[in-house]
Amino acid sequence: MQTLVFWVLFLTFVGAFAAQLATRVRLIVNAPGQFAVVDLGGHVRRFVVDVLLQVRTIRERPVVGMAHALVFWGFVAFAGYTSVEFLRGLGIIDLTGTRWFFAYRVVLVPFATAVLGGILFLLIRRAIFRPKALGATLSIESIVIACFIAALMITFLLAFNLDEETLASRVNWWAHMLVILAFMALIPASKHLHLVLSPVTVFLKSLELGRVPNLDFEKEEVGLETVKDLPKKTVLDAFTCVECGRCQVNCPAFGAGKELNPKALILRAQEALLAGTPDAKLGAVLGEKELWQCTTCGACENQCPVGIEHVPMIIGSRRGLVSNGEAPEYLAGMFNNLERRKNIWGLGYDQRQKFVAAAALETFDPAKHDVLVWLGCAGAFEADFQKSLRSLFDILRAKHVRFGVLSKEQCNGDPAKRTGNEYMFQELAQANIEELKAAGPKKILTSCPHCVKTIGEDYRRFGYEVEVVHSSVFIAELLRDDAPTARSDDAVTFHDPCYLGRYAGKVHEPRELLAKFGANVREPERHGDNPYCCGAGGGLLFADKEEEPGSRISDVRFKQLTATGANTVVTACPFCSIMLKGAQTSAPANDVQFVDLMTFVRDRQRVS
Amino acid sequence: MILVVAEQRGGKLNRATWESIAAAQQLGDALTVAVVGSGISAVAAEVASADVQDVVTIDSAALEPYTPDGFTAALQQAIDQLKPSVVILPHTYQTRDFAPKLAARLDRALVTDVVAIKPGPAFVRPMFQGKLTADVVPQGPAPHFVTTQIGSFRADSARKGSSPATVKALTINVDAASIRQKPEAPFQEARQAVDLSQAERIVSVGRGIKEQDKLPLAKQLADALHAELAASRPICDAGWLPMERQVGSSGQTVAPKLYLALGISGAIQHLVGMKGSQTIAAINKDPDAPIFEIADYGIVGDLFEIVPAMIEALKQ
Repeated sequence: MQTLVFWVLFLTFVGAFAAQLATRVRLIVNAPGQFAVVDLGGHVRRFVVDVLLQVRTIRERPVVGMAHALVFWGFVAFAGYTSVEFLRGLGIIDLTGTRWFFAYRVVLVPFATAVLGGILFLLIRRAIFRPKALGATLSIESIVIACFIAALMITFLLAFNLDEETLASRVNWWAHMLVILAFMALIPASKHLHLVLSPVTVFLKSLELGRVPNLDFEKEEVGLETVKDLPKKTVLDAFTCVECGRCQVNCPAFGAGKELNPKALILRAQEALLAGTPDAKLGAVLGEKELWQCTTCGACENQCPVGIEHVPMIIGSRRGLVSNGEAPEYLAGMFNNLERRKNIWGLGYDQRQKFVAAAALETFDPAKHDVLVWLGCAGAFEADFQKSLRSLFDILRAKHVRFGVLSKEQCNGDPAKRTGNEYMFQELAQANIEELKAAGPKKILTSCPHCVKTIGEDYRRFGYEVEVVHSSVFIAELLRDDAPTARSDDAVTFHDPCYLGRYAGKVHEPRELLAKFGANVREPERHGDNPYCCGAGGGLLFADKEEEPGSRISDVRFKQLTATGANTVVTACPFCSIMLKGAQTSAPANDVQFVDLMTFVRDRQRVS
Repeated sequence: MILVVAEQRGGKLNRATWESIAAAQQLGDALTVAVVGSGISAVAAEVASADVQDVVTIDSAALEPYTPDGFTAALQQAIDQLKPSVVILPHTYQTRDFAPKLAARLDRALVTDVVAIKPGPAFVRPMFQGKLTADVVPQGPAPHFVTTQIGSFRADSARKGSSPATVKALTINVDAASIRQKPEAPFQEARQAVDLSQAERIVSVGRGIKEQDKLPLAKQLADALHAELAASRPICDAGWLPMERQVGSSGQTVAPKLYLALGISGAIQHLVGMKGSQTIAAINKDPDAPIFEIADYGIVGDLFEIVPAMIEALKQ
């Protein structure tokens, strides 16, 4: 009789689980595009690190992350136990009497204790401390699930103290099994679906941060316009979100008080997918204003513990808007400049020629030069950055590095790519690739981290492969055997550019140079591979027309940097430098000095 | 004979007319200016001061307000009577509206947006978004229609006559019933209190002004130069001047004849907003300030010494 009842309950709950899950799986399977696994080894490594070892979950929130890891490892350990009990309940086979099973149960005791401790901690945090990242309202469902998990562990431990075949023991067993069944039925429609999906999502997450594939104009691709255009991975992402809010707390736009919240974007996509409105415009579903507030700094995507890729969805949606002529007004000027003058400033390239002549730069010739220096649009036109490039040239010349520049350079296309003007990006990229192929460098050196990402990674999709090195990395290697200079007591702080620290993962080399040249470095809040953006990325360099003075990302970052007490801010990206200097002029009177890393090194070389 | 079509609205002459007159004078042929509309005697008298053979008025109640049907009918008759070899119009929105229709009606060539005239005459016009300029020699029977790009010919280079030219009325017939358009009151965009983009001269202040109390000094200089006062971002961020006076990527884009930068270092966000200025003059203490990279004239020094001296000099 009990077996029959168990069968009925089992089929009901598992059926509910399967039906709800099938709705979501169908949406994923029917979405356009394909999952891309290019480097299997890399994806396996990511799975081991982020799923099995829970590194990304623990890294940012060590205590909470550890509690979660205990629960996760406990769940994995309990898989066999639960299966055996189900087989018994369904009357298929009863292995519970074996010595092996008893030994397994004993082994599970510490796991159960750990899970219980972990879940009680998480329950108290969620219900009593209620961190902002988890949302404004208390999720009753999360409380229920946490209580379920606690109940499972308590009933498991209780079973040791109850004699088999007593009524109490039977009740305890039924309680345990019913909680599991109810839990299962709750999973698909809640954030606990991440139990099922996140291992897959993490495995499939691109190994390249902010990977946005090219549009194929031959196939008339124009970007993401409506809900039905969301690609497979994005749909999978939407259902995997565990609503932990790591993306939200790390988002510089959200941090500066803007409307953009990466977590809300993902949840809006999820809602629209389930609502069955495939033709709803993404601009309306996700929020046009929010979509244009993203600096593509990549913090959301990089901190996400369940493998969600926010950047491709945001840029994809921007492409859809641009294709329909719905880009914000301030971008029209930049697009015009790119179209007519091939640079974002709208200045004439004679200014670059003037600089090339004044700095006595030679045109690159592979027979004569070891490395090609890419000046970039800041190097060609921005007086301050030209000073830092001259420092770089001085350092290179002192070490007899033979370098040259292209006779003709256009904007690499980064601002077009990240603002969704794919056509413009491809036009610029192809023109540059042609020039680069003709010049034939083996190695490109640049002081702009955006050039590193765009030429080094994005150009690869046109079949152009070349090693692109940021000046901080190149010079750190070049000077590695030089004697360090005496330590100076003046405190300096270093602002990691997103496209260097986070995208390229180069956090060590700039610090190596600072240390070698005697800097007394004070790290700001948010540094290394999770820096706070300056506000320039994603084509937002000129977007401050839209910004209220109180919500500028650059102002927030400037405060973080000056809070270190350092009077010198070292930068390593022309755009960070422009934004932060802008913030400085609007800040209360201060005597903060900005210096590019290359100029810092050259100046200290001269002193020593 | 060359015919210039003046543009007026509500009895007020559009300055661009002088530019078209200047262009027409380059052709060296006898010149007639036509003023089209209703109640236009004052405008006719104003253009009669130019060095032209005569001014004709095409006055009809049916021509106020402007309609493409009305203007096309009126000018078609005027051209039949006057038989000009070339008809020159300023390349305004109004011209863009009716000139193609007029040229097509007469089946004559139309060269638009002309920026210069070469001997021949060949009319120079930009092509492919300004990437190329073409020398166009119109073919076929006269008259040839030419529209002149705003700002390409200097209004102040139009020669004035020793005495006013004669003004005569042309008899034309415009049937009000044949006009199909019924214009509504022109849409007036909510105007900003200050439209810096239209200013001929701008005095712009940056952080070098140091204190809000020092702003009147810059204002005095602006007044002495009949210039608008503008500022870079930090001044407007601090609330010393309203946001609408901000020049740069986060403010207005300006292209005055004279841009005088006081204590502006020249961050690139500011430069992109004023790089189109005809003449840029800068005063800054820092000889390395990027503003000097694009300035035509620069003074390295203390603006608190230089500006009062300039005001003094301008007063004399």
